[in-house]
Amino acid sequence: MAGISIRNLVKSYGSFTVVPDLSLEIADHEFVVFVGPSGCGKSTLLRIIAGLEPITSGELYIGDKRVNGVPAAQRDIAMVFQDYALYPHMRVYDNMAFALQLRGMPKSDIDSRVRQAAAMLHIEAYLDRKPKELSGGQRQRVAMGRAIVRNPQVFLFDEPLSNLDAKLRAQVRAEIKALSQQLRTTMVFVTHDQIEAMTMADRIVVLQGGVVQQYDTPEVVYERPANQFVAGFIGSPTMNFFAVEWRGDAAVFAADATPAPLDDALGARLRAAAGKAVAGVRPEHFQVVSANASGIPVQIKLVEPLGSDTLIHFEVAGAAAIARVDPSLKPKPGERLFLKPQPGKIHLFDAANGRVLP
Amino acid sequence: MNSTLLSETLIRRLNTAQLVLAGILIMSPTAWMVLSSFKPSFEVTAYPPTLVFSPTLENYVELMQTTPFFSYAVNSLVVTLGSAGLGLLFGIPAAFAVSWTRISWPAVLALAARMAPGTLFLLPWYVMFRQVGMIGSYTALILSHAVITLPIVIWVLLPSFDNIPRSIFEAAQVDGCSITRVLWKIALPLVGSGIAVAAILSFVFSWNYFLFALVLSNGDSKTLIAAAFNFVGEGSTQWGALMAAATLIALPPLVLAAIVQRWLVSGLTLGAVKG
Ligand SMILES: Nc1ncnc2c1ncn2[C@@H]1O[C@H](COP(=O)(O)OP(=O)(O)O)[C@@H](O)[C@H]1O
Ligand SMILES: [Mg+2]
Repeated sequence: MAGISIRNLVKSYGSFTVVPDLSLEIADHEFVVFVGPSGCGKSTLLRIIAGLEPITSGELYIGDKRVNGVPAAQRDIAMVFQDYALYPHMRVYDNMAFALQLRGMPKSDIDSRVRQAAAMLHIEAYLDRKPKELSGGQRQRVAMGRAIVRNPQVFLFDEPLSNLDAKLRAQVRAEIKALSQQLRTTMVFVTHDQIEAMTMADRIVVLQGGVVQQYDTPEVVYERPANQFVAGFIGSPTMNFFAVEWRGDAAVFAADATPAPLDDALGARLRAAAGKAVAGVRPEHFQVVSANASGIPVQIKLVEPLGSDTLIHFEVAGAAAIARVDPSLKPKPGERLFLKPQPGKIHLFDAANGRVLP
Repeated sequence: MNSTLLSETLIRRLNTAQLVLAGILIMSPTAWMVLSSFKPSFEVTAYPPTLVFSPTLENYVELMQTTPFFSYAVNSLVVTLGSAGLGLLFGIPAAFAVSWTRISWPAVLALAARMAPGTLFLLPWYVMFRQVGMIGSYTALILSHAVITLPIVIWVLLPSFDNIPRSIFEAAQVDGCSITRVLWKIALPLVGSGIAVAAILSFVFSWNYFLFALVLSNGDSKTLIAAAFNFVGEGSTQWGALMAAATLIALPPLVLAAIVQRWLVSGLTLGAVKG
């Protein structure tokens, strides 16, 4: 087992730079999730760690070994591919045993390892089948089994759940997390799905355009996003953003100059930023208040009942916004009510570069 | 509804007619050849061709008595198997390398060599092989026929290799395979039907090619097809014996072509990935 150290990594395809300059430390035993929109370079990074893609410049260490230029075959890593990439001509057993056979491991050892992994993943019944005789979920497990038997230094996963249906995805998500706690192997997991990132990761790397936007625990990334991109990407429904300004001696919504509910501390931060900022509030951080509690007056445009919660859509100063409210409120479209952000749950971002305001 | 049904029937009938026509065009010379080989010699060149005749083996007997047919057949077999083997030996790694690196000019070059008229190679080869004293040797014939087989192998296998999802190769690399191992352990078993097709097509084309053998062989190493060519115009042409020879020569390619059909339809990589 080993940590991973990426130092000043640059990756270009010809004149197209995918990763401009990236440094990252992943600790031993850690479960790190790379999350970001499609095309942000997640797979590229993972494939660089795997040794499937050469580095343009910079350094990569697995454990304390510099692995620039070391072929994938010699890196002692295991990878689960998005399309599973099982060997079609081999039975499930041989798919799992293949890497061990290549290493010349004794047959009996291979057998016990394959059977142990198969038991762990509940695929013992399929060991004699060919991949094409399996369902998507079963193939996914075989792909994981093939990685587990290796007992590698590092596990790499490239969106392994994206081809599963929603229910199975949630189940396998939990299983992978349980597995990681059981195996304690360093894991790097790539996904575009922020829920997978939040639920599984010890630490999340939020990527955009090949640049690390934030690298921290799920709690911190959610509660203290480093910039407006992270704030908008993590959380569902996405955070509401409003342009706010300091006018005269009060904070107002920039669009219509109606009062914005910023407290003194936030007002001070707004003034320090030349009086212009973007305020962010998550849907779950609105509370419904009575008319005289200086809330924001809104009119409900649309109601989405989720069962456990209800989402209401409305506009604030011309901008569309969503709040998550208690279903017992029984909100109706057209109804008017007053909303107030919970104390301490308003984020302020620089209007120009999106960075969180100090 | 009715009119679409009608036109569908019409289309199906036209299709059938087209196939029958093509079949007749392709098969009638072959049928004529086979039938003629069993005709008494005076009837072979009769006009109009006789359709009813008492079949005889006299042409075959004459062929065997007047020519060393079996030693020619052995020559053909050695050259054909040798050149098909050589084509596979170099063509398989070449096709894999082209597919892997996506550097395609070597494959294009091989194809260009195949498309160039054989006479282009013939003169330089004749000079080269004569200088090293290899005229009439199996080696010279096998090497020259590799020009036929190598491009076939490369171009039949290239799409087969291209069709294997790249992630399967990458998984094998991560599992510990060098690129050579990826070829032998993963890629080759997945293109089995492609290799069968390549081998059989190589065999057929090499077997049928006569130009190189005509010039680069001598009396002892002549291949069947080159020998048959010599029947024509040596004084009086023995049409009956020639038809018998042609029938026998055509037999192996026909049998192999029938076998290829089975292999052409095979989806081994299905189910490898999501689906
Ligand atoms: N082989 C390649 N050649 C050129 N560009 C590539 C190649 N592979 C990926 N890219 C580009 O690099 C960027 C990042 O790709 P990728 O890492 O696959 O993104 P992600 O996995 O985050 O969706 C994309 O813009 C993609 O088009
Ligand atoms: Mg990707």
